[in-house]
Amino acid sequence: MSESNALHPERVAMTLVLNGHSVSVEVDPRETLFDTLRERLRATGTKGACLGGECGSCTILLDGEPVTACLVMALQADGRAVDTVEGLAEGEQLSALQAAFVQAGAVQCGYCTPGLLVAATALLRKNPKPTEQDVRRGLAGNLCRCTGYGKIIEAVLNASQQGDAQGTQKSALRGKR
Amino acid sequence: MIYHRPQSIDEALALKSSLGQRARFIAGGTDLVVGIRKGRTTVDSFVDLSRVPGLAGLTRAGDTLRIGAACTHAQLEREGITALAQACETVGGPQIRNMGTLGGQVGTASPAGDVSVALIALDAVVELASVRGTRSMPLADFFVGPGRTSLEPDEMVLSVTVPTNRKSVFYKIGKRDAVAISVVVAAASVSPSGDVAVGLGCVAPVPFRPRKSEQMLRGHPLTSERIDAAAAMAASEVSPISDHRGGATYRRAMVETLTRRLLRTLADTPYEGLLSVAMSHS
Ligand SMILES: Cc1cc2nc3c(=O)[nH]c(=O)nc-3n(C[C@H](O)[C@H](O)[C@H](O)COP(=O)(O)OP(=O)(O)OC[C@H]3O[C@@H](n4cnc5c(N)ncnc54)[C@H](O)[C@@H]3O)c2cc1C
Repeated sequence: MSESNALHPERVAMTLVLNGHSVSVEVDPRETLFDTLRERLRATGTKGACLGGECGSCTILLDGEPVTACLVMALQADGRAVDTVEGLAEGEQLSALQAAFVQAGAVQCGYCTPGLLVAATALLRKNPKPTEQDVRRGLAGNLCRCTGYGKIIEAVLNASQQGDAQGTQKSALRGKR
Repeated sequence: MIYHRPQSIDEALALKSSLGQRARFIAGGTDLVVGIRKGRTTVDSFVDLSRVPGLAGLTRAGDTLRIGAACTHAQLEREGITALAQACETVGGPQIRNMGTLGGQVGTASPAGDVSVALIALDAVVELASVRGTRSMPLADFFVGPGRTSLEPDEMVLSVTVPTNRKSVFYKIGKRDAVAISVVVAAASVSPSGDVAVGLGCVAPVPFRPRKSEQMLRGHPLTSERIDAAAAMAASEVSPISDHRGGATYRRAMVETLTRRLLRTLADTPYEGLLSVAMSHS
């Protein structure tokens, strides 16, 4: 942005509910939420590749809806709920979706995985029993250059069936105790 | 201050009026933040419209739907009318649709704006506001060039209004099914009295209405011969360029094909079939 602004740095305090915990942070009003998460809050699970909204690596949930953090201004998230890949597991206990990714071999280099997990979590919350087409469409904003997607889709479908067997939607997301 | 978060439309307008040209409205940021990152856009300060109360409403009145500028594509994909909902469904991927807004789409004034193409094909009217008052104009006239609109430096897009009693259809040709800028995009609608409107994208400096083609259809039944002639006319009215997404010859040919296909669909489908949301992905 303009040089005059660069010479007059400004800091603004904001709060967000990050994976269920309220956190306060001072941000540069010109930074994106992606930078705030990684550089200030050290929540480095969120990855960035294209930084232009095209690859989905930086997908997070903003008030429950998947968005690419690289295009959200930090202050747009002030006071809102932000969920990242770090919030999916409970301690060492992987969510059913995460476990399904491991089980199906849906991870190769792993760089796209956090974004895919977050996007798929949002998908399953909205639609606990998706068809393959629903999964493809729900993950259309996430690129993976290794797997060819087959195993990722399989993993999401497996997780949804597991949720079904356990009878609750939450278990599909949080894994069994 | 660099980042302003107005709590009302009036406050947003007052800010824009006092801050001037290089203060930019930001809604979903899906065009603006990309532009800043690529060094195409310089912004001195932001006026954030993403959470201004009253700017994201959908209001039905009579045979019209008024869409607030801050409505997202995701919202319109669910609640919009046919061609508009179809267009919103093709924008980016789920993430982009959760962020990108109607106001940002028309504010960007891209000739490839899928939603803009659907809107001009619905004969949409855009409402602009500033501290000086509000004014309205046909959305097709609002676009004056690539990235250029009729907005004054102190003005904001407040809403877009579309009729709900027109049959409408939309078709996009992209390199892939999601997160793809259109190669050619088209939409068409017909009013209860038989007036046809066509919108074309990526084939002119602005989202484009082929007026001569529309004129040929006025007051006539949509027969197959007339549709063919109107489609050929539309292809003669556009001025496509060649770029890495497609050649001018291909684009012109696709204008004819899509115009014909959309008009045939309008002619062949019962009225109700093209009024409600045609597709749903739940
Ligand atoms: C990965 C990706 C894929 C995309 N795919 C598509 C696609 O398939 N089809 C398509 O059509 N578009 C696509 N887009 C473009 C984009 O999503 C849309 O144009 C979107 O509608 C812009 O809205 P926004 O709220 O994000 O705008 P912003 O980026 O917030 O703003 C865009 C411009 O409009 C101005 N503005 C915003 N609101 C107003 C207002 N109320 N009044 C006046 N000016 C205003 C801003 O100042 C800025 O100049 C894509 C973008 C990305 C990043």
